[in-house]
Amino acid sequence: MTLQAVPQPPDRTGGRTGDASSPAGLPIAGNDVALSFENISMQFPDGTQALEDVSLTIRKGEFVSIVGPSGCGKSTLLKIASGLFPQTSGIVKVDRSQLGYTFQDATLLPWRKVLGNVELLMELRGFSPEERRRIAMEQISLVGLDGFAEHYPKRLSGGMRMRASLARSLALNPSVFMFDEPFGALDEITRERLNDELVSLFMRNGFSGLFITHSISEAVYLSSKVVVMSRRPGQILEVFDIPFAYPRDPELRYTPEFATLCSEVSVSLRNAIEN
Amino acid sequence: MTQTQPSSNLTAHSPVPFTAERGTLGNLLMLLVPPLVLFGMFILLYAMVRANLEPHRQFLMPSGYELWDKAFGLSDVRWELLTRSLTTLGIALAGLCISIPVGILLGVIMFRATILERAMFPNIVAFQSIPTLAIIPLIQTALGFGTLPKVLIVAKFTMFAIPITLLLGLKSVDRGIINLFRLQGASWRTTLVKACFPSAAPALFAGLRIAASLAVISAIVSELFFLAGRGGLGQMIINSKIDFKYEQMYAALMTATFLSVCVYIAFTWLGHWLFSDWHESGGKET
Ligand SMILES: Nc1ncnc2c1ncn2[C@@H]1O[C@H](COP(=O)(O)OP(=O)(O)OP(=O)(O)O)[C@@H](O)[C@H]1O
Ligand SMILES: [Mg+2]
Repeated sequence: MTLQAVPQPPDRTGGRTGDASSPAGLPIAGNDVALSFENISMQFPDGTQALEDVSLTIRKGEFVSIVGPSGCGKSTLLKIASGLFPQTSGIVKVDRSQLGYTFQDATLLPWRKVLGNVELLMELRGFSPEERRRIAMEQISLVGLDGFAEHYPKRLSGGMRMRASLARSLALNPSVFMFDEPFGALDEITRERLNDELVSLFMRNGFSGLFITHSISEAVYLSSKVVVMSRRPGQILEVFDIPFAYPRDPELRYTPEFATLCSEVSVSLRNAIEN
Repeated sequence: MTQTQPSSNLTAHSPVPFTAERGTLGNLLMLLVPPLVLFGMFILLYAMVRANLEPHRQFLMPSGYELWDKAFGLSDVRWELLTRSLTTLGIALAGLCISIPVGILLGVIMFRATILERAMFPNIVAFQSIPTLAIIPLIQTALGFGTLPKVLIVAKFTMFAIPITLLLGLKSVDRGIINLFRLQGASWRTTLVKACFPSAAPALFAGLRIAASLAVISAIVSELFFLAGRGGLGQMIINSKIDFKYEQMYAALMTATFLSVCVYIAFTWLGHWLFSDWHESGGKET
């Protein structure tokens, strides 16, 4: 288990080989698997069938987004990967010691200031106080919360809380990072800005990403692959390869190619919801 | 009458401040009105009772003048009130020193496992339901008349609220926070100390305030039954009744009430000081 301090230059770089479907410029190359779901089904004890036979592989350095109707089991999939619920059947392959996540809500400890919250995971992993503080301050400024280190979560906006939560996870420099609608509560402009920041974090830290969102343009902008899920019980309906090279140019959003891809995903999602 | 004036429901609203601005006058009123109302009600009741007493029974409700002349005005009575207050306060605090740790321990044990909760909760309720006065002869036989039985009586009175409120607080911890700890492989103890306790602390403090308000009263009740040795305000109440010094009895009663309120306020302030920064009950709006 590596516990290096972040930020750090991507140390897993190399020329990407072999895989035609991936866009150029991904921070990590190779075909190694970072996270894979094999025939996952999930039925809750109360009988709710949330997922049915979901298979999905995220290779190292890939950024995969999932879109799907509300209640289709996206959060459940992430929770299964993290180990919070046991799946009913199927196999998850992942190195959990290297797994980072942001939950759908920020889950900050209300009695700790932002700094204390960002330090929390490092504290639980036994980092020294000086190291904790140093890394936490770096992460806080990385997510744009400079000057808010001594604020209680109660006094932050929803988006700021989410960023604090993001900083908390980033502090462990995970090599696989799962995000559950981290920017759902933000306005379009702030969301786009944070998307740009996330892409640069992705380039810089070189993690593998699994990102859940309801925003199609966000999914297309961030990802090398977009997965569309069906209504509950969730199944994978379609997978779109997003060919645009990394790092992504903010202007990409205004290109016709981008719009075309978004509308394709949109049509697919519409079918998912209506059928 | 086809064309009526379009009625407009628009009204002008001035901004609503977070907490209503009070200003100096408002703050002064805030400070003065509650005690004045309290005091006024007290005087009114007092006057009504006194007016209805036949003259030869008016000693039951001494006048303010008599209260000063025969009790608060005398330096030896004042000294007695002070020393006896300290004795009573000592018993009350010693009782809390037992009931708070024991109560917290019980709360944590019940939180540890549902089976322990099922096993212990009825016992705690049953223990609380034992009428203390009825078992005082037993306590006297078993433990004598010293300080210890008084302290234990205070502990019995004040314990109940603590495990109940603590358990409620511990059980209401945000699942997401627990999950966060679980995913890092945190031990039960770490989770308890870093997640459950801080989260339950405001609820626990509600219990502590109840306990604090009962501590002085129960100390005085215990003194009424354990008269040996130099006692506190409870003993003074009994002694002054025996000696027909009703003014001193009232003085002791009033001091006891004052003491009780002080202990309650101390715990309330402590809670406010600890939690106002982050907890919704704290009252700071910004
Ligand atoms: N602990 C649970 N017990 C029983 N059913 C659950 C539980 N958690 C989730 N579910 C059910 O599983 C289904 C999928 O929930 P999930 O939270 O994964 O949806 P989602 O795709 O993340 O939705 P959204 O986009 O609204 O966040 C829902 O129908 C929900 O009712
Ligand atoms: Mg969800």
